Amino acid sequence: MPFVKRDVTARSKDGRPPDDNLASHVAALNSPDGETRWSAARALGGRADAVPALAAALAAEPVARVREAIMTALIRVGDEASVMALLPYLRSQDAALRGASIEALQALPEAILPFMTSLLADSDSDVRLLATELARNMSAADATRILCRLLEHERHPNVCAAAIDVLAEVGTREAVPALQSCAERFAGTPFLPFAASTAIARISDTER
Amino acid sequence: MAGSETHGARAVRVTPEEVRRLCEFLYRRTGMLFNDNKRYYIDRRLIERIAATRSASFQAYFAILRSDVDHEIEHLINAFTVNETYFNREEHQLRCMTSVLLGNVIRRKPPGGAIRIWSVPCSTGEEPYSIAIWLMENWSHVDSYNIEIVGSDIDTRALKAAANGVYGERALMRLSRDVINRYFRPVADGEYQIDSGLRDSIQFTRANLIDAQDMARYRDFDIVFCRNVLIYFDDASRRIAAENLYDCLGPGGYICLGHSETMSRISPLFRVCRFPDAIVYQRPEADHDGH
Repeated sequence: MPFVKRDVTARSKDGRPPDDNLASHVAALNSPDGETRWSAARALGGRADAVPALAAALAAEPVARVREAIMTALIRVGDEASVMALLPYLRSQDAALRGASIEALQALPEAILPFMTSLLADSDSDVRLLATELARNMSAADATRILCRLLEHERHPNVCAAAIDVLAEVGTREAVPALQSCAERFAGTPFLPFAASTAIARISDTER
Repeated sequence: MAGSETHGARAVRVTPEEVRRLCEFLYRRTGMLFNDNKRYYIDRRLIERIAATRSASFQAYFAILRSDVDHEIEHLINAFTVNETYFNREEHQLRCMTSVLLGNVIRRKPPGGAIRIWSVPCSTGEEPYSIAIWLMENWSHVDSYNIEIVGSDIDTRALKAAANGVYGERALMRLSRDVINRYFRPVADGEYQIDSGLRDSIQFTRANLIDAQDMARYRDFDIVFCRNVLIYFDDASRRIAAENLYDCLGPGGYICLGHSETMSRISPLFRVCRFPDAIVYQRPEADHDGH
């Protein structure tokens, strides 16, 4: 047989126990070596006391995979401070970073909830548009309530379209009046009444 | 429309819009794409799940699904995929391993070096044994390298069965009679035990994909088969598992996922490699700085 069998655990037996020293991991986040920064970010996952250091590291990190690990570490904490560390990247000019922050924030549907009102009232329509996507992983009741409130006053058709798309998947029948009213307001922008009618059909059919 | 009495529950009907809603959810979650020409297939499975969860309506069921109550996402995906484990399942990936992956792996190895292959989760052992048999049968360099195959699972009962290596005829359905005669011996009516040499060649261990400390024991693998498990995890667990798997691979190492999974939905850490036999994912050999 060409196969060999080795004790996979032997490798760890030689190793030291995992280092849980906060200061050494925080210092390692600033290492010039990407592998060291990656390991430090992974070691700090779930540590609320490391959030300020993780937030600072995220702002300076040039390597995409290390940024991913920092974001995962923040998700594992999942508190208000972690959300606040991730939010600025919704405004990034870098599409990959924007996408990464949306994915990270979507993994925290409950923690992001208190921030939704201000995000959906942001002066930047791109931020409002991206924020609608954050509602997708929320409970149907929360997503419906938040997005309907947006639809009542939102002036940008693309933001409305994004909200309607999310409502088509997760909305409840409480969304129907807001969808109807939005369709009427944007009667001159044909794709919006069409999108609203599709969402209404889907929601109504689902909730006969 | 579809509807029927299932498990004695009241018949629940599903509408085309409800099916579309479910399909969008399934697509976003797993990448599995179902369209109207599969309506009967979808309706049947959906109605079964509605009945199994005692949901009074699609809406009630969809709420359970979105909240993943009692692992309903896993149950639904199971209903939509073939879960039966058997030898040489997804043979195209095994073909890819011998036609391309190992050639690239040995280019980085010294002559006679070790090649490490990991099957995780390995369930009752069909996959790691399939890998071993496939290599014996299909890779001309098999005797020139020390090949280490590890099978791991979180379920210790499955691992015990894997180490025992006894399988029914159904598990062997994709193997030729010739191969069965070479690597198995009949032990009871319709049951076969895998050759003791092979059983002794593969190490079975317990591993939890989302436990970084546990996964730290597994390093420097050249090829990892990690099929049909990541789609069951929530977003946070999936990210953690992907990062753990990244650390388990050596630079340039490959990861093979199940047919209903794409790593691009799971993690941007890996590079997509499209080979004639399969799409696999690779840990890049080096980081590229910048955005």
